[in-house]
Amino acid sequence: MSVHVASVGMGRYGKRPEGLIDLASEAATAALEGVGRRPIDLLVAGSMLAHGTHGHEALLPRLAARLGLEAGSGLRVDSASGTGGMAFYAAVLAIESGRFERALVVAAEKMTDRTTAANTKDLAASLHPSEVAAGATMPGLAAIVTQRYLERFGRAASICDLATVHARSMAVRNPYAHFQKAVTPEEVARSRLVSNPLRLLHCSAISDGATALVLERGTGPATVLGLGQGFESIRLVDRDDLTTFAGTRIAAKRAYENAKVGPADIEVAEVHDAFSPFVYIHMEDLGLCEVGKGPDALEKGEIRPDGRIPVNPSGGVIGRGHPVAASGLAEVAEVALQLRGEAGAHAVARAPKVGLAHAMSGIASHNFVSILGRGS
Amino acid sequence: MTANGEVLELSHCEACGARFLPTDGACPRCGSTHIQAYSSPALGTVLAATELTSPAEGWHAPHRLALVEMPEAVRLFAIVDGPLPTAGDLVAVRREGEVYRARTEPQP
Repeated sequence: MSVHVASVGMGRYGKRPEGLIDLASEAATAALEGVGRRPIDLLVAGSMLAHGTHGHEALLPRLAARLGLEAGSGLRVDSASGTGGMAFYAAVLAIESGRFERALVVAAEKMTDRTTAANTKDLAASLHPSEVAAGATMPGLAAIVTQRYLERFGRAASICDLATVHARSMAVRNPYAHFQKAVTPEEVARSRLVSNPLRLLHCSAISDGATALVLERGTGPATVLGLGQGFESIRLVDRDDLTTFAGTRIAAKRAYENAKVGPADIEVAEVHDAFSPFVYIHMEDLGLCEVGKGPDALEKGEIRPDGRIPVNPSGGVIGRGHPVAASGLAEVAEVALQLRGEAGAHAVARAPKVGLAHAMSGIASHNFVSILGRGS
Repeated sequence: MTANGEVLELSHCEACGARFLPTDGACPRCGSTHIQAYSSPALGTVLAATELTSPAEGWHAPHRLALVEMPEAVRLFAIVDGPLPTAGDLVAVRREGEVYRARTEPQP
């Protein structure tokens, strides 16, 4: 049974005055209007930080009540920063089962009303407790990963600056992105050191935001062709190689096999660059370029909107902002917009027929790959 | 081996032979619970090291953290006492409660 993305709803990402339910319903309403308010029989929603901190344990009934949904069924999913990827996966499976016809998928996060210390602490919940006990944070471990990558492939730290420059230059074209101003390599290299070699502008920003999709039985320009997931050891010291994420490679292999396409068929990709140099690791793990050659692909213009394989035309996590649970769904949303011809100013140069969205939880301990394209 | 012959207790899986940092659970490679402790020389090589300006709760900046490879390719994160080492530096590692600490050794 085929499932396709029938509509996409987004609100602007960034620092927003509204609360979690307001942001979620803004995106959801846009998605529902996109299908003429046809009835929804399943609501799938996710948020990483809503537990306790915002008193939003009852996310599903609150959202259903706000939206006036008659949906009799709901699923709440949680996979840290990969929550949006998991929400999409769950909704597709639910429709494929034959039990549901149309699902509203919503992923939302409200972060900017919390202290940086509180966000850092809660985001570190996606890491292994023994590594957090030693003082590690997401940026700290991402810095270690980045050092290993730079050393293995003999690259200069400036490749991290160029990754941020790419992301921010894409975000300028996307009206929903947090960052609406491009940056120069010099500005990135001058930003505050967070955990060497990573600086502030190499790290995703604390943002508020929500994304919603309506999925339906049937086919369209953004039909689900294949899905894959993959785990990798959450304790980083148990990984043999930190310059690649095995869980992404497993997820990609499954999704490519499921979709019966290969990396060469992908014409647009959204990857989870929570830290800007991760764009290279993800491209390599997804087979979009050769191992160790991610920086060359960027430098040659291959990942620009008019390049061989446009990557993160939305601005990615770095440019779009990172309301953690929402990012994984925003990645699918961007691919759907590109395939449906609805990407507006951030549309890639050649209308794509097949696209890939990648989402990551923690330091790639649980990864999701979704391939969309025109269904037959 | 460090000058004073310090050792570190690490884990060995009797089922698959993996050697790894002690966990409170099963072997990270095969899932077996047949785990034996063994003593390893406490001298390791730094693979990467970073200085966090905002470390996890309970620690103060600057907080230096190193990924260290011990003999038999067992890896651990250690808090660095003293200046930030670079990849390839030798460090002496000791356990202190729940965490490991490393200090730079004279290079051979």
